[in-house]
Amino acid sequence: MEGRSRVNEKITAAILLVFSLLYFFKGLSLQVGVPKNPGPGFIPFIIGILLVSCTGFYIVRVFRKGDLGGKGEKTSEDEKKNYVAILGITACAVLFPLILETLKFLITTFVVSFFMFLALKPKKRAFALFLAAGMSVASFLIFSRLLGVALPMGFLETFFFRLGG
Amino acid sequence: MWEIGLGLLGGFATALKPLYLYYALIGAILGTITGVLPGLGPLGAMAILLSFTLTMDATGAMILFAGIYYGAMYGGSTTSILLNIPGEAASVVTCIDGYQMAQKGRAGAALAVSAVGSFMAGTIGILGLMFAALFLADVALRFGPAEFFAIGVCGLILLVRLTGGSLLQSFIMILVGMALTTVGVDFLSGIERFTFGSVELSQGIDFLPVAMGIFGIAEVLTTVEQKELLQKVKKVRLRELLPNRQEWKRSMPAAFRGSILGFFIGLIPGPSPVIATFVSYVAEKRLSKTPEEFGNGAIEGVAGPEAANNSAVGGAYVPLFALGIPFTPAMAMVLGALMLHGLTPGPNLIKDKPDLFWAVIASMYIGNFMLIILNLPLINLFVRILQVPKHILMPMIVLICIIGVYSVNASQLDLFMLAVFGFVGYFLRRVGFQAAPLILAMVIGPMIETSLRQALNISGGSLAGVIFRPICLSLFILASLTFVIPLALKIFKPARRGKPEDPKKERRSPDE
Repeated sequence: MEGRSRVNEKITAAILLVFSLLYFFKGLSLQVGVPKNPGPGFIPFIIGILLVSCTGFYIVRVFRKGDLGGKGEKTSEDEKKNYVAILGITACAVLFPLILETLKFLITTFVVSFFMFLALKPKKRAFALFLAAGMSVASFLIFSRLLGVALPMGFLETFFFRLGG
Repeated sequence: MWEIGLGLLGGFATALKPLYLYYALIGAILGTITGVLPGLGPLGAMAILLSFTLTMDATGAMILFAGIYYGAMYGGSTTSILLNIPGEAASVVTCIDGYQMAQKGRAGAALAVSAVGSFMAGTIGILGLMFAALFLADVALRFGPAEFFAIGVCGLILLVRLTGGSLLQSFIMILVGMALTTVGVDFLSGIERFTFGSVELSQGIDFLPVAMGIFGIAEVLTTVEQKELLQKVKKVRLRELLPNRQEWKRSMPAAFRGSILGFFIGLIPGPSPVIATFVSYVAEKRLSKTPEEFGNGAIEGVAGPEAANNSAVGGAYVPLFALGIPFTPAMAMVLGALMLHGLTPGPNLIKDKPDLFWAVIASMYIGNFMLIILNLPLINLFVRILQVPKHILMPMIVLICIIGVYSVNASQLDLFMLAVFGFVGYFLRRVGFQAAPLILAMVIGPMIETSLRQALNISGGSLAGVIFRPICLSLFILASLTFVIPLALKIFKPARRGKPEDPKKERRSPDE
């Protein structure tokens, strides 16, 4: 079985190559122009060629390295990593913009913070609830009232905004 | 000289206003806290706070960032000495002798020497910045697009060489960063590029969510992947903070040498504060009459590197103020803050906005003074921050990043970018890619494109007319030397040593 880091390297190399090819071919539709008068596609054309060459070379190197001797490298370090926390926090960061306009700031922050605390300490649910509630109200008061950040407001936000004086 | 004196006086008049003093204090405290916390360095702190500088004026934002940068350098040394944990990369070297001194009961002396050395270095760095930036900005006024193109390319190449890690990976990161800057409306022709019909993408990919994702969120993800270890913190008493006469005598020349060395290394693209500490440590060990003490608690091994990393901060500001080109990721953040305030950095900035330049310089003096007053008596308090559990601290940082990005454009796309680049940044780190080249390419990229297109226009399409100009050619030769010299050393080294007698022995030596 291949080491997880080697698999990650292969995935990264493949994604980078796909990105480079997409960028290069999309860039071809732009007007390159002539050296005396470079068009909007001039720099993307150069970047595209360099990107495809570098990522092509990288993918060859990564896959060749894998064939030679990158097997059986699954380390105990890989197993120790807290993947639930990593995926949980990433999912929360994606979830925030999705529900912000509908649920407004306070509820969105409460939900997202709760899940983040839970992702890091799954057993402390009551503590997470309490902390998430405190953090959403505190962050609203600090950012909206003190720093003047314009946050999406619903009836709850208006209530707290008035409560703040 | 008269002009400099007047400018500095004006700068002090501005920086001593209560509001700016407040920003300097906040910056110094936040910087020290981020320096103390392992993982969250000055870069992360700047990225997180970048959007909030919008509520301030440009001078306030610059003062805050300068405070954070200097504060982080001070704070990083505290955990290195007391706990053997470098708060940020530039404090790694301090661990070697600083922690050994703490083990011998001289933690207070090490902390005091590091603070005083940092103050000395900060002052020398600022003096260097003042003169070098003014001189360089004067010269840079004569630069054309070709020269700016050469400086940009040379800066990126040197960065790749000095950042460490794989050369190919760093090049890929630079190219991806440059590719991201081409998204949006082309400012010269007005034609949309890589927007896929999206109105939001036509404004381009903002630097802020990418930087906050790659440095802020990715930092959090890297921190939470490891098991939490709460540190037991040793208490340092105030009366222990005074070094003895011998320690002063040994540390001050080292701090002075570190300051000079650090400033010049700060002018080079790349992670200059980190490089400065290593160079200073090696230099001190070579100069020492008792090199065997290094690694066992030599005070010069604390004073030199600590001074060097602080002085390098002043050096790093020179290319930013004089040329408008950031050579380090942290300076890219400072540039980002300037751009958010509608300021175009470059040689004209010092001429057009002298009040801003001098206020920042003056605030650096004030910030350094604040740090020395704050750090020594409050050491125990700052170190206690390490005891805040990760599961409380990390969600808070994520939330600050999210609100920070939202506060700039109230854009959903920016929030998605933050999340995506956070994960991408984390993933890339895990496979050994460095984020710094990508961020710097995003900042310098537009300048490189504009300069090249303008230079080609002026030279009538002749690439030779762009490359074979005295300054450009010198810069390109310098950049290529960074590749040729290591290659030549690689080729000639084995030849000089002669053929290895025993191939097995040869293979074994690196491990030994």
